[in-house]
Amino acid sequence: MIELTTPFSEEAISQLKVGDVVSISGSIFCGRDAVLPRICKELEAGIWAKRGIDLQGGVIFHTAVSPAGVGPTSSNKLEIEGSFEVLSKLGGIKMHLGKGAIKPETVKMLAENNAVFAVIPPVTALLESQTLERECVAWPELGMEALYKIKVKGYQAIIAAAQGGSIY
Amino acid sequence: MNIVDKVAQCLVTAGSTFREDQKEAYRKAIAGEQIESSCWVMKQVLDNALVAEERRSPLCDDTGIPHLFLEVGKNRTVTGELLEEIKEGVRQGLRQLPGRPMAIKGDDYARIDQSGGLNEDSGALDASPILIKSVDEDVIRLTVLMLGGGPAIRGITQRVFHKHSVDVVIDEIVNRAKPAVSQLGCSPCTLAIGIGRSQFEATSLMMEAMAKGDFGVQSDFEKRITEKVNEANVGPLGLGGKHSVLATFAKIGPQRASGVRIVALRPCCCFEPRRASVEL
Repeated sequence: MIELTTPFSEEAISQLKVGDVVSISGSIFCGRDAVLPRICKELEAGIWAKRGIDLQGGVIFHTAVSPAGVGPTSSNKLEIEGSFEVLSKLGGIKMHLGKGAIKPETVKMLAENNAVFAVIPPVTALLESQTLERECVAWPELGMEALYKIKVKGYQAIIAAAQGGSIY
Repeated sequence: MNIVDKVAQCLVTAGSTFREDQKEAYRKAIAGEQIESSCWVMKQVLDNALVAEERRSPLCDDTGIPHLFLEVGKNRTVTGELLEEIKEGVRQGLRQLPGRPMAIKGDDYARIDQSGGLNEDSGALDASPILIKSVDEDVIRLTVLMLGGGPAIRGITQRVFHKHSVDVVIDEIVNRAKPAVSQLGCSPCTLAIGIGRSQFEATSLMMEAMAKGDFGVQSDFEKRITEKVNEANVGPLGLGGKHSVLATFAKIGPQRASGVRIVALRPCCCFEPRRASVEL
């Protein structure tokens, strides 16, 4: 088990291999279909910095945040997988955390930006016991699909795409 | 305990608890799986179930849509008042679990395109219509099933031209199940199957299969389907391995005098069938 704490360094990410099981601690971001395209739009327009939210070295967990807890949705949905490139290239996101197989071109793009895709089992009760804080940081009108920042301790995930290789 | 409380507790149990046969199915699969990452996934799912049971908290953040299966003995009576109490029990159970607040607000169009937004009250989520079945026991027994969205996306209800061969029907079910299981994501799954004379009947039979199926009791028909789908080597979360499917729950009803069978198939996710029963 590889212990990782956010924000991740370039070096820590470059050492990850497909199949590694990692334990993630620190603050991570949560967003899915509704909010990720909005972040990309602001990054591309160069206005994201005005929000004062630093994504550098961060994790985006593809989940809603509701009273029921958190759990991964399919990362290969158009709006989610379509956000990977902008979030990593312009935002500095180092880990996209979700589930499901992603396209070969996405795997290649992640390698070019020294970023990885990790799969987390949909274990809501376990994750709830490892979630210390939660805060809505943007677009609260989206409810459970808003952008959240949560503080976690020991979320376990498996590296599914890294350095141009994929587990699928 | 009154009926409203019984139903509410039953719903919370359905959304938070693995039955013993379900836990045992996971233990066996973990012991028999050689791919390390797939073993790790199944251990996580089982650990999650133990934590959820202890806390009576949701197994999954998609807490599901309540579906109700009511068994009624011939000397028992179902009244409008009882149905209202069941409805109220569901509402309270959803608030206690808590269910994900995912009731869509608005008129027909707004509910389709989701433009009316979501109701923030977990209890605002309506249950599906109740399925009622007469039984030989002297009971009124309610089974609450919590059905998630992923399996609903990948489920298929369609005809099979059987050519007077069970093998043809099994092969077609397997052909439909393999891509469905692969696309599901949250595997290992359990295949729920109903075979009947119409879409309604096949789906009702599939519901009954989910309500009554037992991981430890598998018919030859069920075993054959499980084994054939597992040959696809999809594995838990698609990571490969022998355990894409833990079991198959099938219910075969009366059939039409024709060349067609209607088959309802649902690849239930790694937590399903999330269900619990209570006598009212």
